[in-house]
Amino acid sequence: MLPILTLLIIALPWIGAACVWLIGDSRPRLLHTLATAFSVLSGLVALSVLPFATSEAVLRVSLGGIFGDFALVPDGLGVFISVIATVVGSIAVIFAIDYMKHAHQLARFYALILFFIGAMAGLALSSSLLFTFFFWEITAVCSYALISFHNDDPNAVAGGIKALIFTQVGGVGLLAGALLLYAYFGNSEINTLLTQHQNLPPQVLAAVGFGCLVAAAAKSAQAPFHSWLPDAMEAPTPVTALIHAATMVNAGVYLLARFYPAFESIPGWRVAVMTIGVLSALLAGLMALAADDIKRVLAYSTISQLGFMFYAVGSGAIFASQFHLLSHSIFKALLFLSAGAVITSLDTRDLLKMGGLAKRMPFVHVMFVIGSLGLVGLPLANGFFSKELILEGGLEHGPFWLYLIMLLNAGITALYSVRLLWMVFWDKPHGAQPAHDGMPAMRISLVVLAIGTLTTWLLAGNFGQLLATTLPSHHVEAEGTMTLVEEIFTASATWIALGVILLGFGIWIARPAFASLARVLKPFAQSGFGFETVNQLIVRATKRTAALMQVTQTGQLNWNVVGILAGLFAVLLILLQGK
Amino acid sequence: MSLSLFNIALVGLIGLLGIGFYGLMASRNLIRIIVALQIMVKGALLGLIAAGQVNGQVNLGQSMALTVIVADTIVAVMGMALGVQIRARLGTLDVRALSRLRG
Repeated sequence: MLPILTLLIIALPWIGAACVWLIGDSRPRLLHTLATAFSVLSGLVALSVLPFATSEAVLRVSLGGIFGDFALVPDGLGVFISVIATVVGSIAVIFAIDYMKHAHQLARFYALILFFIGAMAGLALSSSLLFTFFFWEITAVCSYALISFHNDDPNAVAGGIKALIFTQVGGVGLLAGALLLYAYFGNSEINTLLTQHQNLPPQVLAAVGFGCLVAAAAKSAQAPFHSWLPDAMEAPTPVTALIHAATMVNAGVYLLARFYPAFESIPGWRVAVMTIGVLSALLAGLMALAADDIKRVLAYSTISQLGFMFYAVGSGAIFASQFHLLSHSIFKALLFLSAGAVITSLDTRDLLKMGGLAKRMPFVHVMFVIGSLGLVGLPLANGFFSKELILEGGLEHGPFWLYLIMLLNAGITALYSVRLLWMVFWDKPHGAQPAHDGMPAMRISLVVLAIGTLTTWLLAGNFGQLLATTLPSHHVEAEGTMTLVEEIFTASATWIALGVILLGFGIWIARPAFASLARVLKPFAQSGFGFETVNQLIVRATKRTAALMQVTQTGQLNWNVVGILAGLFAVLLILLQGK
Repeated sequence: MSLSLFNIALVGLIGLLGIGFYGLMASRNLIRIIVALQIMVKGALLGLIAAGQVNGQVNLGQSMALTVIVADTIVAVMGMALGVQIRARLGTLDVRALSRLRG
């Protein structure tokens, strides 16, 4: 039974994608129903596998010498990530019923979303690095297609291509890792790497480790690869929620957490992971302070929260990082979907036109405040507990200066969250008139997520237990929920962090005093701290090289034949050499 | 190097490949290019049969050769059909006129 259920987590969304695609755009109601049914079903199946999580492969199909075995391992980490992908994914699909009501080409939309969800589950469940890479690339292609879903809008197309290129750069790192692994072990099983990494030459292990780090940073939009995520905001809001909360960006953190036992001994690897996390959180937090587009602010906040997770993985707090991933996926989905409700209601994303919505959209307002509680990390929201665990782990196992910057980041998070709430809901109105306070399907998905934000921390103990029992190489320590909560409330780190968060609020209240500092920082933050310029330079250099290479493209058949035959001889020579 | 049957086949093979290769590079006429391609494939055929003879798997070599003949015929027919189309559209069979792939 377990093998079938595990396979169904991937298969159900994919079957759904095929059905939706074949039905076509002519019957929108059927499409809504089918997409919801398939995604909710796969979510339920994933939840039903959760109690039976095991570190053994439940399904193994041999695909010959080179590809190795295609095996599904529903261990704690894998099932957990696929539960997030399918459950939060299905909530985004439910939200889309209202959001995409009048949209065209629904079949393409739903098919891609379902394909995306299934690929993400496959990425988390597959047991060999090669298949992880395959699913990884499928998620990259789906995200590209979904970000440029409105393909008559040049911004959307550019955003999609940017996301594709950035994640491809990372994908090369992952592929290099998989091939190196194959060259040394004769298979690319993840388990082989975790148990026998000490047999690898240190340089090779370092290459695999840093290759995976590049892949993870690109996928999770960490500096210096972060600039694709804000541009991905051109996508329809349910897709943004899907990419930011349920699928795409979690893959990077998942990859690092999965391989942590193998890579922790690489000199400099842990500090590199932590530094990337801290830097991304800092830069993204500052950019969130300067952004004037509601979705961009949330996008930057995603980058900064993923920075927290990277920091946690680097400090060895695997449980804290995955716990924060869980919290983040729920409260960020809530925030994005609430923002989606605001956007459909006002028909604008510009913060400067919003304001005064607390009274006129009371329901969405409450939902947004609950989501912000999670984001900032205030008590009784899930984000509080996971963030405190991360900071505690960082203080114990990481360099002190990184911990200090991370504390600062917690304060910045509070600052930009309260700025966002102020500009959208609490400030006086600036023109835009709300048309509704959330439509029925929107409200359902928002309420589910809000309840999740306020309660999922109760599951922390069981979640730790799950990771501890099914991940033999990771040495996760399980504690009961109540012990954990007690520990958090008695730790001095918690109170320091809460103090910093309150300080963040205080700075917002006393913001006229900081006006001059803001004036200095704002131009840097709005220009993305120069990373965009570097991107442009790379693009220009590539184009110039391409123009130089054009000379070789004569278009003459004879020359093309020479090229083909020369290539053939080169391959033959290499084969003879290798003999 | 004795003058065994295999060596004769080997020399013929290299000769055919060389002639075909030269034809592919040097001719401008599409029909000539297709003919050159055919010559190269015939060289490969000879190689297949000779290789089958040498390692004792005569049947395998010959059946592979038959498969190649079938595939090769399709290539030739497709090439000729393209030639007819190109002649109809461009009024010439000179491949220098076909430079749309230029970068």
